[in-house]
Amino acid sequence: MAGKGGANPATYSPSPTIQKKKAPLFKEDWVRPDGRGFHQCRPAFFRTGAVNAASGSAYAEFGNTKVIVSVFGPRESKKAMMYSDTGRLNCNVSFTTFATPVRGQGSDHKEYTAMLHKALEGAIILESFPKTTVDVFALVLESSGSDLPVVISCASLALADAGIMMYDLVASVSVSCVSKNLVIDPIFEEENYQDGSLMITCMPSRYEITQLTVTGEWSTPKINEGMQLCLDACAKLAKIMRSCLKEAASDSKE
Amino acid sequence: MVGLSLGEQHFIQGGIAQDLRCDGRKRLAYRPISVETGVIPQANGSARVRMGATDVIASVKAELGKPSLLQPNKGKVSIYIDCSSTAEPAFEGRGGDELSAELSTALQRCLLGGKSGAGAGIDLSSLVVIDGKICWDLYIDGLVVFSDGNLLDALGAAIKAALSNTGIPRVHVAAGASSDEKPEIDVSDEEFLQFDTSAVPVIITLTKVGKHYIVDATSEEESQMSSAVSISVNRQRCICGITKRGGAGLDPSIILDMISVAQHVSEQLINKLDSEIASAEAGDDDES
Repeated sequence: MAGKGGANPATYSPSPTIQKKKAPLFKEDWVRPDGRGFHQCRPAFFRTGAVNAASGSAYAEFGNTKVIVSVFGPRESKKAMMYSDTGRLNCNVSFTTFATPVRGQGSDHKEYTAMLHKALEGAIILESFPKTTVDVFALVLESSGSDLPVVISCASLALADAGIMMYDLVASVSVSCVSKNLVIDPIFEEENYQDGSLMITCMPSRYEITQLTVTGEWSTPKINEGMQLCLDACAKLAKIMRSCLKEAASDSKE
Repeated sequence: MVGLSLGEQHFIQGGIAQDLRCDGRKRLAYRPISVETGVIPQANGSARVRMGATDVIASVKAELGKPSLLQPNKGKVSIYIDCSSTAEPAFEGRGGDELSAELSTALQRCLLGGKSGAGAGIDLSSLVVIDGKICWDLYIDGLVVFSDGNLLDALGAAIKAALSNTGIPRVHVAAGASSDEKPEIDVSDEEFLQFDTSAVPVIITLTKVGKHYIVDATSEEESQMSSAVSISVNRQRCICGITKRGGAGLDPSIILDMISVAQHVSEQLINKLDSEIASAEAGDDDES
């Protein structure tokens, strides 16, 4: 329609310029903004023991996405809670105000909190700490795409660091569908233009999916492809997490 | 929460294992569905759906608003679900918040598609009146009147019915006003545009109890579940969203199996819903 560009009032919001710059990015044969292959994850970095005050903690860095998770407990449940012969898991995900390009826009806290809870509760042996609560607090220091998968993987590492009994480590990976291509471990720009996304959280050694979300329209073969891609990446991610734990354990022995 | 004795729990689980549930249904059979449309005259569209004892109302209100800067050629849709404390005492105060948030995000995921708007059940670009300036904001509100399990499927059906009942007033834009700062518009209160709901998917929740999964679980059956997967499927049998509930892990092959079962079940459910909606709409017209 006429008068679309010129009539726009002057604005300090960076969004309209982003749109103009990035829109032609995802055409026929595009390259990912950070030069990765479609099926190539960002280099993952994990380190346990990031917070001294917590019973266990972990720091994760996937490209520019940086997350810190601390685990407190098991400690006595709040007095108001009813008696329970299994343990409770309490999760919280928050964003720093500077995590996003536009200040204070780290949205979906509540959704992320609920998703983190569901992703972890199936992996923790809650029977091992009756009447008590384990708190998992995640803070997204910098958000640059695939935040939730990074938070979940990092949280399971923090739980392991805290010595909470689990069936297996939990690894999480997402794929985005951008103009007919499946791209794994999408960054912020790719997530903004995705036609659909699929996130899998799984326990690789047990080959069990604890959490799964799909948005957008998917055909059956595409879902199969996406799931397989995620599961393979989860298995590889779990290996990195495991080696990080082993390293930490051998360091503490010395 | 449902208080069940050990005997009752075994009875439910055993029945599901033998493909004969407590109310005589098979594992993949729905309870009777009834649809009423136009139940809220104040709204642009509304519907009440009952699945067995589960009773939900959805309303659609349209308001004129401004499109977001990032997507100037799209309208906005927000979905909010309210779990009334009249439905269950546990929903009182903040008790229903968690469930409300879970249902709202699941429905948004199923109905609104990806971030780019592809695969959305509701065509957002049809809501634009003037590019970048005026669009319709749709507020979809769901209310849980009584909860007897399978809320998500019922709400999905209610929203589909409410959208097909929705009439959006035709807007006349004064000629030559498009380059002005504020275009003059005239909202007609006689002419209404019908909403195309053929692309709106249905949601099918498969609840896993023991080794088997069932559709349309009652709250008693839900209390026995290990996990549940809600899959939304449209008429083309494409998956429009998946949400998993319940903590227990699932084998990937089971999930793929569930998807194909959901695609199979969806066909019957869509046809059933469409005919219910059509007859409800017809009954509505007779009255007015």
